[in-house]
Amino acid sequence: MAAATGRAAGAVPAGYAALAVKFAERQRSHHCLLVKEHQVREGADTAHPPRRTLFVLNVPPYCGPDSLSRLFSRCGHVQSVDICDKPGPGEKKDKLASKFFDHKTLKGFQVAYVVFRKPAAVQAAKALSQEGPLLISTESHPVKTGISKWITSYEASIVDPKELKAEVDAYMQDYDKKVAEEEAKAALEEGVPDEEGWVKVTRKGRKPGLPRTEAANLRVLEREKQKRARKELLNFYAWQHRETKREHIAQLRKKFEEDKQRIALMRAQRKFRPY
Amino acid sequence: FYLQGSPEAAEEAEQGPEPSAGGAVRRGKRAAPAAAAPQPAKLSRAELYRPPTSEELTQLKETEDLFHSSLLRLQIEELLKEVTLKEKKKKKIDAFLHEINSLLSAIPETPETELTDQAWLSEGVKVPFLQVPFSVKGRFRFVPPAELKVVGSYLLGTCVRPEINVDIAVTMPREIFQDKDNLNQRYHRKRALYLSHIAQHLSKEKLFGSVKFAYMNSNHLKPILLLRPQGKDEKVVTVRLHACPTSDLFKPSRFYPSKNNVRTAWFMEQSTPKEGTTEPPTPHYNNSILCDTVMLSHLHFLSNAATDFPGMKDGVALLKVWLNQRQLSKGLGCFSGFLVSMLVAYLLMKRKIVKMMSGYQVLRSTLQFLATTDLSVTGISLAKDADPSLPVLDDFHQAFEVVFVDPSGLVNLCADMTASKYHQVQLEAKRSMEILDDRMVDGFQVLLMTPKPIGAEAACSKTSELFSCNWGDLLDETCSSSTPISQQLLLQKPHLSLCLMFLIFPQWPIDADPPKHKDVGPLTFGLLFVPEFAASTLEKGPQADHPEALEFRTFWGEKSELRRFQDGSICEAVVWEASTACQKRLIPEQIIRHLLKLHADIPESSICYTGALLESVIRTGKEAGGTGEEAMVSVVCSYDDLSRKLWNLKELPLMVTAVQGVHPALRYTDVFPPIPMKPIYSFHKRSKHFLLPSEEKPCPAYITPLKIICHMEGSGQWPQDKGAIKRIKAAFHLQLAELLRQQHQLVCRPAVTHTDVYKDGYVFRLQVAYHREPLILKEVVTPEGMLKYQDTEESRLLELETLHLPYLTSSLHGLQQQHPVFGSTSRLAKRWISAQLLSDSISEECVDLLVAFLFLHPAPFTPPSSPQVGFLRFLNLLATFDWKNNPLIVNLNTGLTGEQAVGRRNKFVASRSRLPVMFLATPKDQWSSMWTQERPSAQILQRLVLLASESLRALEEQLMDPLSDQDVKMVFRPPLDFYDVLIHLNPSQIPRLLESVDRPVKSVSRGVVKNSSAMNILFPVVDYDPVQLYLQELRNAFDDLALFFYDKHGGEVIAVLWKPLSFQPQPFKVSSMRGKKVTTLNNELVCIPNVEAILEDFEILGEGLVKSVEARTEKWTI
Repeated sequence: MAAATGRAAGAVPAGYAALAVKFAERQRSHHCLLVKEHQVREGADTAHPPRRTLFVLNVPPYCGPDSLSRLFSRCGHVQSVDICDKPGPGEKKDKLASKFFDHKTLKGFQVAYVVFRKPAAVQAAKALSQEGPLLISTESHPVKTGISKWITSYEASIVDPKELKAEVDAYMQDYDKKVAEEEAKAALEEGVPDEEGWVKVTRKGRKPGLPRTEAANLRVLEREKQKRARKELLNFYAWQHRETKREHIAQLRKKFEEDKQRIALMRAQRKFRPY
Repeated sequence: FYLQGSPEAAEEAEQGPEPSAGGAVRRGKRAAPAAAAPQPAKLSRAELYRPPTSEELTQLKETEDLFHSSLLRLQIEELLKEVTLKEKKKKKIDAFLHEINSLLSAIPETPETELTDQAWLSEGVKVPFLQVPFSVKGRFRFVPPAELKVVGSYLLGTCVRPEINVDIAVTMPREIFQDKDNLNQRYHRKRALYLSHIAQHLSKEKLFGSVKFAYMNSNHLKPILLLRPQGKDEKVVTVRLHACPTSDLFKPSRFYPSKNNVRTAWFMEQSTPKEGTTEPPTPHYNNSILCDTVMLSHLHFLSNAATDFPGMKDGVALLKVWLNQRQLSKGLGCFSGFLVSMLVAYLLMKRKIVKMMSGYQVLRSTLQFLATTDLSVTGISLAKDADPSLPVLDDFHQAFEVVFVDPSGLVNLCADMTASKYHQVQLEAKRSMEILDDRMVDGFQVLLMTPKPIGAEAACSKTSELFSCNWGDLLDETCSSSTPISQQLLLQKPHLSLCLMFLIFPQWPIDADPPKHKDVGPLTFGLLFVPEFAASTLEKGPQADHPEALEFRTFWGEKSELRRFQDGSICEAVVWEASTACQKRLIPEQIIRHLLKLHADIPESSICYTGALLESVIRTGKEAGGTGEEAMVSVVCSYDDLSRKLWNLKELPLMVTAVQGVHPALRYTDVFPPIPMKPIYSFHKRSKHFLLPSEEKPCPAYITPLKIICHMEGSGQWPQDKGAIKRIKAAFHLQLAELLRQQHQLVCRPAVTHTDVYKDGYVFRLQVAYHREPLILKEVVTPEGMLKYQDTEESRLLELETLHLPYLTSSLHGLQQQHPVFGSTSRLAKRWISAQLLSDSISEECVDLLVAFLFLHPAPFTPPSSPQVGFLRFLNLLATFDWKNNPLIVNLNTGLTGEQAVGRRNKFVASRSRLPVMFLATPKDQWSSMWTQERPSAQILQRLVLLASESLRALEEQLMDPLSDQDVKMVFRPPLDFYDVLIHLNPSQIPRLLESVDRPVKSVSRGVVKNSSAMNILFPVVDYDPVQLYLQELRNAFDDLALFFYDKHGGEVIAVLWKPLSFQPQPFKVSSMRGKKVTTLNNELVCIPNVEAILEDFEILGEGLVKSVEARTEKWTI
């Protein structure tokens, strides 16, 4: 075990530093967090500003944002911790984030972006690799896992009807307003040509156009085809007769060939041994 | 059509780019079909439209006329290639025969002795004949055979592998017989002595691998000598020596069926014949001698029939395969291959078969004849010109049960066959004809490639329950065709049909005594239930004043009692004790035990009924009572009531258009159906309106939410945006909860995605659905502004849940109404899969469909009529179905026509590589196999197939030998030795512990009591299973490193298998660093899984649940 630890500490990919973390004191082996300074073009990732953001790889499942923030707080003031599934630009925090809808649960091992207030803290964090394993769950800040965690999340899954109702009502009011606005806008544009003189035809108006969907297009094509087929005379000319015969033989041959292949396949797999 | 004008053909030939070249290629192919390596997938256009040659036209026409389809023709050709004897082997056999010939003629003569004086035989040989009574007149001496001739299938070329028998008729010279040798077994004993002398000499030869005796078709009057070559050819051939007299030795008239040739006085060992009594006829005895005299003439007859008739050889070979697969061609009174050849010859004589026909047509015509003709009523005869002196068919009918007279007009070829056995053959033929006419099933596969074994009996094989008892003493040793009385008795009961397993005597070495009837061992009977009556508790007899009443009373004994029925009639009736479905299934056992005790005086202890041994694994709760059918019915009742209430709910802004259940309990296939429960408050942590699991107490009992989809009416008021629809649905859930509480006083707990309703002790989970939602989820607008619908993961899941699963549930609910044991079969199957730790690797719906297949397409069997038989068939299906080459088509509600099924098959072949490894097609889901798309994976399927075939083998062994002390639950205990890590769980935190295969001795309180009437309670803990939550977390975290296996029904261990691929050192990559560590290997940076830490993570994640983590292998050390 000791040998393994030594090796793990020794080998680190370029640019990274390896921090050993343990769940609690009594664990004997540890995971390695790989950290490095977040590097991105200026302005490309506003949520994770370069220089003062620490990129953390291989965050264990029981290590949430709170634990991370606590772990790194000794290097400097932590402004925010963003844990996500795979590396990527941070999404803008939605103001309207709902308590009940669109929950994203974090699964398994994650990557994290720790944003410090000062760039110096990033270097300090990288220097932690020299120290012994960091502890995720301590006496003062225990992390719940197992049965107690599941009971807590069961409790959390039960919603308060009133709160839910209030949220739904608020959302729907917003939505209704938005739809009404759009409709009003569409009504204004109805029948009014744009600067090039085109008039937009919608399903509303007096002369509703065909809906622009794939299904509608297919339907029209199908109808055309049927119309053409109805006009055609079958087996009227001698060449048509001949064609159908040829077609029949060709079908038989095709079938025969397919069957032969199937048999060959089955023979190869020894499927003809009755017992 | 086929006489296509030659000018046209010429014209086309000119047009075609290079017709001759195409033709050459084609001919080349046909000449060498063996070199059928990777052929081009498609014919080129030029080849397809090339003018046909006349020989090609005839071939196409032949295929159409003589065979069902070109595929069938090819399949049959392949099968025949497989079963017929190869030329190389034939040469070896011929050489072997020559050597035997020279050896036989060199056997020395012996001096004449009395028949009873057998001292001249050496110690090493026992006479292969039961010499009872021993004393008999007559003298015997050995003289080398007058003639040796190969007879039977070897010469006709109709012998089929794997058991190649060559029959040699050894003609005993005239000199060794005296007058009156036809009497009192003297002929038979001489025959036996003759063979023993031959055996004595041949056993010294090094040429033979083995020299053994056997009874010809298990008829103990007819011993034969079996010779096998030495060395590795031993399995190739068995040469059977039949001793026979010269054809003119006996006067045929002595052996007419009405004549006596065994004197009573001699047989009963009385000194003087009784005066005035007439001797009874001995038709079977007579027939056995006659058979020997006509062997050569039969050969001539058959070879005449087979000349210029290639189809006969093929047809007989196919028929033999057909019989072998049904195990009808072995044992006493079997339908042997010889009999089949004679039958084909008969049909040829009657012009029902013509020499033009193909092998397939011969098979078909013969089956048709068997299916429609009852030889036990109207016998047939091959004798051409009616000699007035010969016995007529009626004479034969009086003496034998089944009549088929040979060309000589003397021998009944079906002498040993009983009527019931013939009916068994007939039943099989009838069923096979139905299968051949049914386009839905692959007739070739079902008829000729599928064995119908279970050793028990042929007709119903696995459909039947098995019980065996020691009946050896019942069989009369003297009469060769004695039918046990009990068989007739059982046949009187209308709803059980019964098949006796053929008595098969094994071969025995020449120095052992011939086997007696006692040596056959326990008898095994198969029972075929008529599902409508098999489980009825009442047997209504005739009215009390009718004369049949007496017969009824004597048949049923004390069980029969007078009863007054609702229509006022007073009838004899028998009532059986049974309250639950499980007990009702055991009524046949009660009947059998009662009747055997009553009529045959067989004690109950010597009868063993193995029809329902497995049902204990799906028994619910602690009580021994039922197997959950009743619980399921009560769930469905409660659900029906709830759906009515939902329909009639007032003040709902939109109407409820449909209420559909999707939980397996609502299609009767839940392994352990929910039981009405009421929580004990003190056991839980309490909140204002609901209960919570408590950390200090054991985990509360698992309460399954029964999921119900509640479709709301479509309306313009529904928003057309997916976020808004979700909110509206949540609002509906809130409102449903509120209304159900107000109008029906039900306790409800709403949530965002559903509303849980506590009713009658069950918890139903209502989920609102809007039919346009999947469509809205699919909407995509192309850059040109066109609206397209594209499947997304979300829409697929929603459709599955709200559209397909309800449909499947209602279809299977309907199937259960037709086949009452469907549900229990499916439950047994699921229990087995779960016990093998694979329940998370294959979807429940997939198992349900597989079981539905057994009931909808049982060919060549009948639909299973007991869960155990259904389960055995399920294992058989899993183990033998050719998943690689065929889709499994489950024709629910007969929604697919034959053409569609064929089309489905062809398309399947074309796109095999893109389809799931296990492909299930149903009428509503022909192209995507939605229930098997992700699971099972190829490896899991392979494992399933392996486990199924092993389990099947073990189970069949145990069921056939019920007296052995092996536990039938064995197949429900999985082998754990090949997993890498075992995570042992704390039993008190496993909520479903009671469902485990081996129930825990000590039970823990789970905080619930049985109660279905509780109304106003705090909401219980629903759908809380720590083990499942734990598994979820494990899979989320370590999915790319390991597979986790668990028996969700109370398993105490989670088995972990490392994925070998992810343990190979890989170069560092940001995206694949989960749970790994970086290390140097050969001066390169590589990532390997951090196993020590992961093993500790197992414990951390399952804190309180995990007892210990046991790493069993060191596979990860690199």
